[in-house]
Amino acid sequence: MRRLLVAVPYVWLVVLFLVPFGIVLKISLSDIALAIPPYTPTLDLSEGWTGFKAFLSQLDLENYVFLTSDDLYWKAYLSSLQIAFLSTFFTLLVGFPVAYAMARAAEEWRPALLMLVILPFWTSFLIRVYAWIGILSTEGFLNQFLMWTGVISEPLTILNTNTAVYIGIVYTYLPFMILPIYATLEKMDGSLLEAAEDLGCSRMQAFWLVTVPLAMPGVVAGCFLVFIPTLGEFVIPSLLGGSDTLMIGKVLWEEFFNNRDWPVASSVAIILLLILIVPIILFQRNQQINKEADQ
Amino acid sequence: MAASGNNEVFAPWKDRDAVPLIRIDQITKRFGDFTAIDNVSLDIYPQEFFALLGPSGCGKTTLMRMLAGFETPSEGRITIDGVDMASVPPNKRAVNMMFQSYALFPHLSVWDNIAFGLRRDSQDKDQVAARVEEMLKLVQLSQFARRKPHQISGGQRQRVALARSLAKAPKLLLLDEPLGALDKKLRQETQFELMDIQEKTGTTFVIVTHDQEEAMTVASRVAVMNNGQLVQVETPEVIYEQPSSVYVADFIGDVNLIEGSVAALGEGAELAWAEGRASLIGQLGAALSKGQSATFAIRPEKIAISSDEPLDRRNRVRGKILDIGYLGNLSTYHVELPEGPVVKCEVGNRSRIERRDFTWEDEVWLSWSDTAGLVLAR
Amino acid sequence: MKIKFATMTAVVALCASSAFADEVRVYNWSDYIDEALLEKFEAETGIELIYDVFDSNEVLETKMLSGGSGYDIVVPTGDFLQRQITAGAFQALDFSKLPNAENLWDLIKDRTAQYDPGNAYSINYMWGTTGLGVNVQKVTEILGEDAPIDSLELLFNPENMEKLAECGVYMLDAPTEVIPAALTYIGEDPNSFDTDLINKAGDVLLGVRPHILKFHSSEYINALANGDICVAFGWSGDILQARDRADEADNGVEIAYNAPKEGALMWFDQMAIPVDAPNPEAAHKFLNFIMDAENMAAASNYVYYANGNAASQPFLEEDVIGDPAIYPSAETLEKLYTPVPYPPKVQRVVTRLWTKVKSGI
Repeated sequence: MRRLLVAVPYVWLVVLFLVPFGIVLKISLSDIALAIPPYTPTLDLSEGWTGFKAFLSQLDLENYVFLTSDDLYWKAYLSSLQIAFLSTFFTLLVGFPVAYAMARAAEEWRPALLMLVILPFWTSFLIRVYAWIGILSTEGFLNQFLMWTGVISEPLTILNTNTAVYIGIVYTYLPFMILPIYATLEKMDGSLLEAAEDLGCSRMQAFWLVTVPLAMPGVVAGCFLVFIPTLGEFVIPSLLGGSDTLMIGKVLWEEFFNNRDWPVASSVAIILLLILIVPIILFQRNQQINKEADQ
Repeated sequence: MAASGNNEVFAPWKDRDAVPLIRIDQITKRFGDFTAIDNVSLDIYPQEFFALLGPSGCGKTTLMRMLAGFETPSEGRITIDGVDMASVPPNKRAVNMMFQSYALFPHLSVWDNIAFGLRRDSQDKDQVAARVEEMLKLVQLSQFARRKPHQISGGQRQRVALARSLAKAPKLLLLDEPLGALDKKLRQETQFELMDIQEKTGTTFVIVTHDQEEAMTVASRVAVMNNGQLVQVETPEVIYEQPSSVYVADFIGDVNLIEGSVAALGEGAELAWAEGRASLIGQLGAALSKGQSATFAIRPEKIAISSDEPLDRRNRVRGKILDIGYLGNLSTYHVELPEGPVVKCEVGNRSRIERRDFTWEDEVWLSWSDTAGLVLAR
Repeated sequence: MKIKFATMTAVVALCASSAFADEVRVYNWSDYIDEALLEKFEAETGIELIYDVFDSNEVLETKMLSGGSGYDIVVPTGDFLQRQITAGAFQALDFSKLPNAENLWDLIKDRTAQYDPGNAYSINYMWGTTGLGVNVQKVTEILGEDAPIDSLELLFNPENMEKLAECGVYMLDAPTEVIPAALTYIGEDPNSFDTDLINKAGDVLLGVRPHILKFHSSEYINALANGDICVAFGWSGDILQARDRADEADNGVEIAYNAPKEGALMWFDQMAIPVDAPNPEAAHKFLNFIMDAENMAAASNYVYYANGNAASQPFLEEDVIGDPAIYPSAETLEKLYTPVPYPPKVQRVVTRLWTKVKSGI
């Protein structure tokens, strides 16, 4: 029974990660074809071992070589990395003060504030992104409001620019930043700050020397939780971004749907995964260190 | 006790010329409708080991936090070393505090925790290092300098907290229930260590505790607090032997309390306590007038137990043994008097083979000297 | 033992067939049918109809090429249909079960034969054109009363676009629709596979690219209707939908649709039966039902698209059959061209060019 329980995460890993990964990897080594499915070779098990060998011999790295032949791909990866980095930074910039304020709020208010942060999850993510179209468009609420207050006389073009993408990502992923930071700040012993003050720190120094280092595990967790999905983000850039918003998620979509080139699309996906593995491993290590520190 | 090494008795509070380090002058602190500290005045002298003792919620922690600067008094004035503290923030006071939770910075090593306060004073690196080493030696933790707080034991953490709060050589060290988290044996050892360190450093210590034994052990003077007020401020001996009120007598150690009224006042006082019985004679512990209702307080260890009537003592009562407790070093007898009260009496077990003179249901006499008891206002 | 086994197989087979016998699964574009027709079909045939919707050919194609979609009827657009036929995704129709096929409009059949030779695999459901949706008031304000709202000049002449940029221009995010239009504009064959010519068309697009607000294939409906943008190059039905929404909202926005006079792309949504359809029998019944003249007319009256059913025309309402934006005049019809699917190599050039047009990379 215990062995069975121990096996659960491994089964999970194999079924939900390794098997799909293997399939995508296999397709990335195949060639495009006009057939069902639209690539070749396909594995024919009826031929037995020889069929398998024949299948293996037809796989090659051609698609990966192709990715290097056009600067579109590495530019898209770079641009995605840039957008992911900046979005994570902006999310942290907004999320930390929110989490801090929540953790400093009166105890009886905290569940309500926490609820407010989680509440948007009750609506479809897509609908919330669509709502931003209504807010940011030229005739949208934001422009109407700003023109009404007289701050601007001409409507701002925000929708369909990278600015809108950043707004959308920061908005969407904010709870993923707030919650881990809040969790670390909330369990922080208030007497630590008093101790810092007692030992000669000003409030500001105490914040930088005690609060910030102690919030680091939460900050790191939040940053990864934002950075990793943002890198492959497709929906937000395609709804809020402009035609020049270049992200690898969109390139992947085009390879898959417009070019119907599943093998090249799979290679793009494999490389994206390889790029993500580095931060994912760092994230895991951070979690591990925190766990040890808690013990 | 703090200065027991000197031949001269350390008692600056009796010296009219002594200048107090801390003057607490008619301090009141209110939280909304609740009055935590009610018009308290108190002087604490340099090098004192001063204990604030009382049950939880009595205001002792609030008083300490006002000294540290974490709370501001609603009324009154605090001066430390002659300086009015009203507008001095915690980080500008020559006062350090050792927190009940220790409040060690979990992200910093033992070394960095101790160096934390020193670095704020922009001392040069070598100076800081020397002072940290000195502190580590003082609390005997040199070999744990590189560990993080979660990697050392509770007792070691307590010592790190102490070292950290002493590192800046404050004029005044505040200790908030410093031993509360330790088990009993370690606590007793640490009490003596604390006294030792206090003596070595010559720092004025103010300790907050709810543990009367701890306060009695470490302190040069004890302030017993109740409901935001000081009930008695005295040396441990006086607090124990001459409590000023029933509250103090009852709070500190074991005591038998017998209700009655003042029958006569002379050198001592006589208390009529039961119809047809001789009055109990004791010292007058408070200003009382004849006929006033009062309480007779007598410590269990001051009562002698015998099977024959001790005719040489005026204070003698007869009763029946209700219960016997054997505690190893001493035995406790609970004796029920026919008049109602149950009196507790402690007898030291001096010889190894105990003579079991008395057993349950035995009729015995209890007696004590004329000066052993106190007559206190109710 | 043998007998027993055979009986069991029969029972299993019976159960399996009865489970499928009474249902048909249809996968059609969203907002593309009068739902009353679905109920009518169920009432007439007793077959349970399961109706799912999609909103892009690419999504449908991915399902078709993956195989095992579980649908009995799907509705790809002509050029997608052709590719999927080549891939072997569909089964040939059995016209003996489709007596209503005689209602089909020869004019449309001739054109769809380009994708589906002999119309062996599919029947036409709806068709339309790709053209210019214009906010009349805003565009005439900017370009004057003689603004070329029915010409590709509006879209591909940088001088016009530079001025229009301030009120917003959307373009379909569909290179197979836009590149033929650009080829038409420079007087070349819209269906050319010549990559040099295609790159020339790309130059036209790159010239106006800075003035295009967004490339998107559905947002322009709302954007036009709300008055957020003033020009959209999009599908006829969508732009007519935007026109109706603006009318309903009564927000003072007046939208007009025109197929470009230089020639416009004509597209066809074709109904076909996947090769692995669970219930082809019921699928044929559905096709026959939909080809009924009155049923087809009801569908067109509801969605404001022209259909490929000649017999349905007497039953069409005047604002459908009489609207040249829906049923173009014979003269305009002459100029409509039908796109052909690109071979994979050309497709890659087109997609890459499109990325360059959209992102400048």
